[in-house]
Amino acid sequence: MSKPMTRHADVQTIPVSFTLNGRLQEIDVEPNELLLDVVRDRLGLTGAKRSCDVQVCGACTLLVDGRPVSACTTLAFEVRGRSVMTIEGLADDGKLHPLQEAFIEHGGFQCGFCTPGMLLASKALLDENPNPTEAELKHFMHGNLCRCTGYKKIIESIMAAAKKMRGSRA
Amino acid sequence: MLKRFRLEEPESAAEVSELLGRFGDSAKIYAGGTELLLAMKEGLVQYERLINVKKLKGLSEVSGENGTIKIGALCTHHQLENSSLLQQKLPSLVKLEQNVANVRVRQAGSIGGNLCFAEPHADPGTLLMALGAKLVAEKISGKREITAEDFFVDAYETSLAADELLTGIRVPTPGANSRSAYLKFGYLERPSVGVAIALTLDGETVNNVKIAVGCAGPAPRRVAEAEALLNGKSKDEAVRLLPQAGAIAGRASEAISDLHGAQDYKEHIVGVLLKRAFNSIVS
Amino acid sequence: MQFEKQVEILAPREKVWKFIWDIDRFIACVPGCKDAKTVEDGKRYTATMVEKVGPFKVEFPTTIDVLEREELSHIKAQASGADNKIGSRMKIALDVNLREQDNKTVVSFVAGVDILGKLAALGHGIIKRKADQVLDEFAQAVKTTLEGDQ
Repeated sequence: MSKPMTRHADVQTIPVSFTLNGRLQEIDVEPNELLLDVVRDRLGLTGAKRSCDVQVCGACTLLVDGRPVSACTTLAFEVRGRSVMTIEGLADDGKLHPLQEAFIEHGGFQCGFCTPGMLLASKALLDENPNPTEAELKHFMHGNLCRCTGYKKIIESIMAAAKKMRGSRA
Repeated sequence: MLKRFRLEEPESAAEVSELLGRFGDSAKIYAGGTELLLAMKEGLVQYERLINVKKLKGLSEVSGENGTIKIGALCTHHQLENSSLLQQKLPSLVKLEQNVANVRVRQAGSIGGNLCFAEPHADPGTLLMALGAKLVAEKISGKREITAEDFFVDAYETSLAADELLTGIRVPTPGANSRSAYLKFGYLERPSVGVAIALTLDGETVNNVKIAVGCAGPAPRRVAEAEALLNGKSKDEAVRLLPQAGAIAGRASEAISDLHGAQDYKEHIVGVLLKRAFNSIVS
Repeated sequence: MQFEKQVEILAPREKVWKFIWDIDRFIACVPGCKDAKTVEDGKRYTATMVEKVGPFKVEFPTTIDVLEREELSHIKAQASGADNKIGSRMKIALDVNLREQDNKTVVSFVAGVDILGKLAALGHGIIKRKADQVLDEFAQAVKTTLEGDQ
């Protein structure tokens, strides 16, 4: 449920109709609103994190039309007419995504702060390339930073999930 | 939080130019926003209006005709790295685009925005310069082509007029004997040194050498003196002259000592990258 | 950041010295500097410094304090200002020496420039180059103005 906002009559607002985790959302945004703020503060989805705020660390990663974007450096109106996925939308009605299961099974997270970004970025990777080499994986995930794990377990988790997802494809 | 601004969404280059002319410094072109929004978030710049150019048609294509490859200014880095035409004709540019920043910046950022923001630590300008690229600028009164050498004036400064919009990049289609490479070096978020080289290999002779250096100084620069040194030489002779060419290119880079490294360090790296880039395309 | 500059002016020392204290004309030689005012003659002055690097513009209302003064030979001054819009501060410590050489006056100065705050995010290298450029242009302008004044 989005928080109501009071605005002066002459402030420009842009109607944004978009799909959020599979459901239609219709909100008005001011041109200067950032996607991360709208998702966290107005829509209450706090999985995406504000960390570096300069689109370097990936903790704010969201998927827009399946592609990873830095929500901290994306203007909210840019998602009009698009589909947005946050980490809250990765599990399917409570059933964890293979990536989420793999991260749990293989220890792909410790503090969990980078994890929503990691999961969404790796989903985008596997959607684009279901069978990545480790080099391809590292290249794609290069912009998602983790201070805890040292990345080894993250790579293992993604590779394991990829294998599982390939296996379950008819 | 970004300070409030008004969004304009013109649908033609002429409209963009008119808006720029009318609002001057208080308006700015906005495409992917990967550089602009950062500067705005830092509070380093402030605008009353952002002119969203993403509704302009025909600026997001890569095409080839009559010996020229045309790249629309709104093409994202992601589009360019996946362009089959570029993969075929300009693999060095594809490799460069694959390695711009990170996957999210490549998704949102446009080549046009990258060139126009003229951030010193950027990659594409250096290689495009060595490839003999021309930049197409439009305003109400018409179009013009600017060579890459003339385009990059200084850090964050291009030769675009205040009411001009970059619409595309034109690169001469490389011939069968043409080779090019771009190498960069850095361990900070943005590259510290970038070197591009293009040449034709006619048998054992190296011709049409173009060398450009970037990232180390305020803007990418062609290095005519180093080019002249290698031009027309045999492969082996050119290799022997590489250290000299590298030293010339290093000095031409206008490197300055800063957090990216000391001046002499950067100049040295220019030489190293030139050597490696050259060897990668002639062997 | 430290800068050392030297300029030879074809004019007698007295003339150069007098020019330095002619605040309006002197300030006019500093690129981007305007609205010079004397708060206390010989001691304190104010001016506005406007500098631009690409799209980045700063406007520093600046206070200049003269710390030391030796007639015809030496000035030590300090300039400081803040751009609150951008959130940056600027400090310049200036040491100016004049000496006569044949029929010329050699003006040498050492400038210690510090830029603090958000502007530093632009990159040390960019600021250093800009400061260097401004100081070069300043030295040249002083020379040109004085020599053209014959």
